[in-house]
Amino acid sequence: MNKSRIGVFVCHCGLNIAATVDVARVVEAVRDDPGVAYAAEYKYMCSDPGQNMIKDAVREHNLDGVVVAACSPAMHQVTFRKTVAGVGMNPYRMESANIREQVSWVHQDDPERATLKAIETVRTIVEKVRRNEPLEPIAIPVNRRALVIGGGVAGLTAALDIADAGYPVILVERADALGGKMRQLSGTYLNFDAAPDMLAKRVARVQQHPHIQVLTSAEVMALEGYVGNFTVRVSCRGTARRAQGEPADRSDTPLPPLTPKSLSHRGRGDLKSPLRVRSPSPLSGRGGQGDEGEESFTFDVGAVVVATGWDSYPMAALAEYGAGEIPDVIDYLAFERMLAPGEAIRRPSDGRTPREVVFVQCAGSRDPANGVPYCSKVCCMVVPKQAMLLAERVPGAQAYVFYTDIRSAGKNYDEYVQRAMSERHVLYLRGKVSRLFREGDRVMVWGEDTLSGQAVEIAADLVVLATPLLAAEGARELAQRLRISTDAHGFYNEAHPKLRPVETLTAGVFVAGAGQGPKDIPETVAEASGAAAKALQLFAQDHITQEPTVAVVDADLCAACGACVEACPYGARSIHPVWHVATVQAALCQGCGACVAACPNKACSVRNWTPEQILGMADLYV
Amino acid sequence: MIPRVMVIGGGIAGIQAALDVANSGYEVVLVERLPSIGGHMAQLSETFPTLDCSQCIMTPRTVEVGHHEQIKLMTYSEVESVAGEVGHFRVRVRRAPTYVDWDACTGCGTCQQKCPYKAESDFERGIGPRKAIYTLNPQAVPNKPVIDPDACKWLLTRAEREAEGKKPQCGACQKLCPTEAIRFDDAPAYFEEEVGAIILATGYDLMSPARLPEYGGGMVADVIDGLAFERLLASSGPTAGAVRRPSDGATPKEIVFVQCAGSRDPEHGAPYCSKICCMYTAKQAMLYKHRVHDGQAHIFYIDVRAGGKRYEEFITRGIEEGTDYLRGKVSKIYRDGEKVIVRGADTLNGKPVTLAADLVVLAMAVLPAPTRRRSPRAWASRWTPTASSSRSTTSCSRWRARGPACTWPAWRPGRRTSPKRWRRRAARRARC
Repeated sequence: MNKSRIGVFVCHCGLNIAATVDVARVVEAVRDDPGVAYAAEYKYMCSDPGQNMIKDAVREHNLDGVVVAACSPAMHQVTFRKTVAGVGMNPYRMESANIREQVSWVHQDDPERATLKAIETVRTIVEKVRRNEPLEPIAIPVNRRALVIGGGVAGLTAALDIADAGYPVILVERADALGGKMRQLSGTYLNFDAAPDMLAKRVARVQQHPHIQVLTSAEVMALEGYVGNFTVRVSCRGTARRAQGEPADRSDTPLPPLTPKSLSHRGRGDLKSPLRVRSPSPLSGRGGQGDEGEESFTFDVGAVVVATGWDSYPMAALAEYGAGEIPDVIDYLAFERMLAPGEAIRRPSDGRTPREVVFVQCAGSRDPANGVPYCSKVCCMVVPKQAMLLAERVPGAQAYVFYTDIRSAGKNYDEYVQRAMSERHVLYLRGKVSRLFREGDRVMVWGEDTLSGQAVEIAADLVVLATPLLAAEGARELAQRLRISTDAHGFYNEAHPKLRPVETLTAGVFVAGAGQGPKDIPETVAEASGAAAKALQLFAQDHITQEPTVAVVDADLCAACGACVEACPYGARSIHPVWHVATVQAALCQGCGACVAACPNKACSVRNWTPEQILGMADLYV
Repeated sequence: MIPRVMVIGGGIAGIQAALDVANSGYEVVLVERLPSIGGHMAQLSETFPTLDCSQCIMTPRTVEVGHHEQIKLMTYSEVESVAGEVGHFRVRVRRAPTYVDWDACTGCGTCQQKCPYKAESDFERGIGPRKAIYTLNPQAVPNKPVIDPDACKWLLTRAEREAEGKKPQCGACQKLCPTEAIRFDDAPAYFEEEVGAIILATGYDLMSPARLPEYGGGMVADVIDGLAFERLLASSGPTAGAVRRPSDGATPKEIVFVQCAGSRDPEHGAPYCSKICCMYTAKQAMLYKHRVHDGQAHIFYIDVRAGGKRYEEFITRGIEEGTDYLRGKVSKIYRDGEKVIVRGADTLNGKPVTLAADLVVLAMAVLPAPTRRRSPRAWASRWTPTASSSRSTTSCSRWRARGPACTWPAWRPGRRTSPKRWRRRAARRARC
């Protein structure tokens, strides 16, 4: 073990590390350490030349371990492990020493001690690598069936994209019909008339699709398992699912076994074979009848797309706008219903057609005091659409819009708002509304025009509030069941805001649409297709590989006390009924080490994080 | 049906599309016009709203594309013609002459170090130089250089010297290349690829400031565009991340950012909103404050379009950190001695504003990347063409060529301040 030949590569990360840590000193300090055979530095280790430098050094100096002192292992460990694997080294003989996030970024004011800390960090990782075993990744089979949660336009799109590629989909919708929030809209901006029709077509296609099983009035109650092998429990209220175009006589057809070959992308040629069954039925799962007509079903799926969308803001919470008290103050979804085909624009109080309509944007949004510091994004476009329709349908009507910023950022969006102003004479007033109150049958709007600096008073017939978009009710609970995280406002967190927008940190669970944050229909549809593509990418593989740095049990020491089973947060541990020792379900184990701490006999350890390694590292630090 | 996909454009969109298709088990042909992939994202310093270093988050993907067994990477190439129909397209691809045998080249970089001729780097948006033989950046994938026929002495003097019966001048790269990879007689190569589907991901370009005479038309020193400022902020840029103004290399203490420069302007520029400027300007102002603590950033805006997850909060943070937002349009930008004078209106108090700035950054309108075919020579050397062909140089090259106060081309040999010196100085400062 002392004969290790480890190479240490220290990265400048541009100036991210080099501005604080004296990289050359780190290299000099560790060069002659036991086990270190080579040490070097480079501006960007992760770049092609940087990686080639590692490869060349491994070959030239016959290295058997590599330490890259750079950014967090979450960032580039995979990159460097691939690099060393390219020259025949076992990738688990490579480790990252984090001298960016944990050293240079946090100690910018003290370069001297930051450099010392960087040296110690590198030394401890070298110590770890000396005892790292060469490991092989674990291969996990993939269940090629997807679960889509949410039957709005995002869920419909994702389900169709996956099903059209030839894989079965289970679509779970909480309401009793598909269509989501888009169904409540009269039309969409830019292509007003086409939208409801497009949605109806999409719903019809989903209902008739041979590969899609629709469950309405249903909710996901639990999700177990791991990427490629999830088990999901869905609870359906009554028999409403059959109302969704699923004749009862077909629901007994058993789902054929999901033979990987028949479904693999290579076998796409014969779509007719085994999946060409009209209705992959929930009854093929393990079903059970609960109380009050509730049925719950269990399915095995390989990927999950979460598309739960948004909910509207409760009007009652906007007391300063008289919402809930003044009948002629409504939110924009209520106004959408008046604009729907066959409906007339009438104010709620007396049924009269309103002439003077005031739209209030950011009614609750961008207001930290209100608990909604974020921008709801869609209102800036919905309001001009509604104002234009009002002008079109009610001759002589005048629309006023109070706004903070007009956020019409999108293709043809700005032109659309300009058209509302120039062609339909919608009056845009930059400012906030300070007070709304009733006077006779009118609603008086007091506001401020910040451009002229003057107070404005409008006697309106109707006031429409652009209320914030909230995360769908129950999104937090669902996120907990799916083991994904939400932000402070209940929107799902994506894995990376720029480069992994539809993935979550739970592998195999993807997000699409307004459940992730306020967004409009084109963005939602694009995300849904993106999430579907990610699920299809998963299904295209023969098997998934899993990190082998999982817990192992020394059977000689294990007394089968069950402490590890209780400690494991991932349900990966159980006591073998026959052998009577603790076992590890490797695919579920995340290598957290809770069992190691819990085991009274020291029978547990996590591979490549053994107690000897950790103590050895600690010795160097203290 | 041919189960093979062509992706046109090697920016982040093309890279992601290529990886997703390739990881689904299909073969991909990725065609990129420039010598290496990465697109505009490779030019950026840090990304909003998390301030992740752009290079750091993108490099793993460019490297993966370079190594992927299912991706055939065709850089320095353009699509000439497409025939056929869905499921079976025949695409003719033209690869420009690189003058370097990429199979023989190891990417050691000796040629780039030794080449004595420099040219304006379009990748650096005219802020810094490159050699006549160059890669776009040190992280280039593939990391193989090309020779700019407009800057290479050998290629420029070849015809003339050969007519006189002499050898062309220079040829340093050819003499020094350890693997003898230089091919001065390289010619365009044509390939035909058969694919079933094509993904267009050709991206954008910024409008040339030459289109906006009221903002100096690209002739006023120290008026640069958003991408040029990104290069000033980037730690891999010509100033190693130090914010210096191009005219004299001084640290600007007062910067004015002008949003909607050319956007939302049906008369002079683009009628549409360019969407990204509101956020990148806020980010640039924030990063400037992080680099120059006593500096002041002013932003002229019409609407702050921060529609996106955590965007609004990012703008709020910028304002809290001291960015000064002024609602209004800028009417005129001109030079007055050491300063650039920005005259505009503050529409919130209804008064005219005049600011004397050290540096002005224009958030120029986003245009579709040009698809017009150009002569191979022009295309090989120019990163930034614009819609108006007669003024197809960047702001910086314009003022460098003719601007009155333009005394400091950052890279001209022999000048007292050079990017190399800055970098050295920055490193020295960092050490002590």
